Amino acid sequence: MGFGTYIRAQREALGETNKDFSVRKVAKVIGVEPAFLSKVEREIVAPPSEAKVIALANALGEDQDVLLAMAGKVSSDLLNIIRDRPALFAELIRKLKTEPDHAVLRVVREVRDGDW
Amino acid sequence: MIYVDDDHLEIRFPEVHKNAGVRINFQRTLRIPDDDQTYHLPPGLGQFPIRHIDDFDLKADNHLKERGGIIMPMFQAEALWLNFDSLEVFGDVDYPVAVKIGTGKICAISGDSWTSTLNKDPQDYLVVPEQPWIDGYNVDTGIVRQFVAAPLGQGYTVEEQLTGEATVGGLQIQAFPMKKEYYDKINNPIMEECYDEMRSSICYSMEAPSMEMGLAPGGSMHQEIYEDPHDFEVWDLRKTQRCFVTIANAEQWMTVTGEEPAASPCSSHAYTEAGLPWFKYYDDDQVAIEGAKRLGNIKSIKNVTPKTGDNIWVDEQSTIKQKIQYIIKKKVSSGKW
Repeated sequence: MGFGTYIRAQREALGETNKDFSVRKVAKVIGVEPAFLSKVEREIVAPPSEAKVIALANALGEDQDVLLAMAGKVSSDLLNIIRDRPALFAELIRKLKTEPDHAVLRVVREVRDGDW
Repeated sequence: MIYVDDDHLEIRFPEVHKNAGVRINFQRTLRIPDDDQTYHLPPGLGQFPIRHIDDFDLKADNHLKERGGIIMPMFQAEALWLNFDSLEVFGDVDYPVAVKIGTGKICAISGDSWTSTLNKDPQDYLVVPEQPWIDGYNVDTGIVRQFVAAPLGQGYTVEEQLTGEATVGGLQIQAFPMKKEYYDKINNPIMEECYDEMRSSICYSMEAPSMEMGLAPGGSMHQEIYEDPHDFEVWDLRKTQRCFVTIANAEQWMTVTGEEPAASPCSSHAYTEAGLPWFKYYDDDQVAIEGAKRLGNIKSIKNVTPKTGDNIWVDEQSTIKQKIQYIIKKKVSSGKW
């Protein structure tokens, strides 16, 4: 499912019980013209900027990173992390590419337990 | 597995279930007065920073690293509360986790010496998500005495009052997940029944002071520690994670970490005078456990005569008129459709 189609589906699902999720109102919340949001949803135009995708995620209660990925973007904080140590993180991400979720979580530095 | 994420302590049990876990943060707050009143819940004023203790040279206190865990700064006589959140997995029911909280290896809920398992009678743990936070020692039914930082060795801490020794200090946390087979039974689609949660140094020693702090009881406030709503057999006692939280004197935090600690919060009186709210939490579906008899007899900091120097408690203007904001946890039925 494309970014626009997904956004439209989520917005319309929320709109079934809450009038605040009309195209007009969501567009106002994220600071774009309703016509532009409508075009994004119909995938006539490319997904908006990172800031607008994050605003959309917040407005619709979606995960920012997931929406950014669907929009073909990577959040700038993640880019900065990679830019600081590009070789290390490129290698790490490639190695984790096929690992299951629980194995990826294990890579995170754990708090060491000691003697108490 | 336990890790630090944006000043949250995240405890996960991925080997049990992807949703099994709890996020804990340590909230700075107002120190409530210690007088005849029982106060309502004070606000959260931001999170205490937490760091891996292994990352720092603690000089004369390097032996504290043997306990592992994390380190965080508190000013003397500063108060804190612990906030609990389930891992957010949209569409699923929050995964129940039993959490034990100790200070100086004294259980803050039962008052008993620390054990590394759960005990049902008396209950020595709280259950997340039913219990969203804990502000202090369970001294009476529906009443806690606020967690307040105090130097170890002066007689203030609960550990010293109950054991006569000041050897442990800090804060201890241990979590146990619900067994997967029980969670699978309760994990109905959230559309059936969703939860709408509106939660919205003074050193008197002539020698180099230890940076180590403990927690001691402050003023009293209304807070219920809820009875475990599940059968005891649902808890997976074989799968447990624990963490020692070393509390460092904030005055020495910068020397150790290079980071400046946040300024101590304003007084309760100044906060109230500014018209800001205190909180009262309602959850009619839960039953409170009794206060711990052993904790009911402990002295609050104000009433302890320290071994050296003056008492660290600074009396505040009492009889503050609290503006109460209600926080209600209620089940919202989506109806039939």
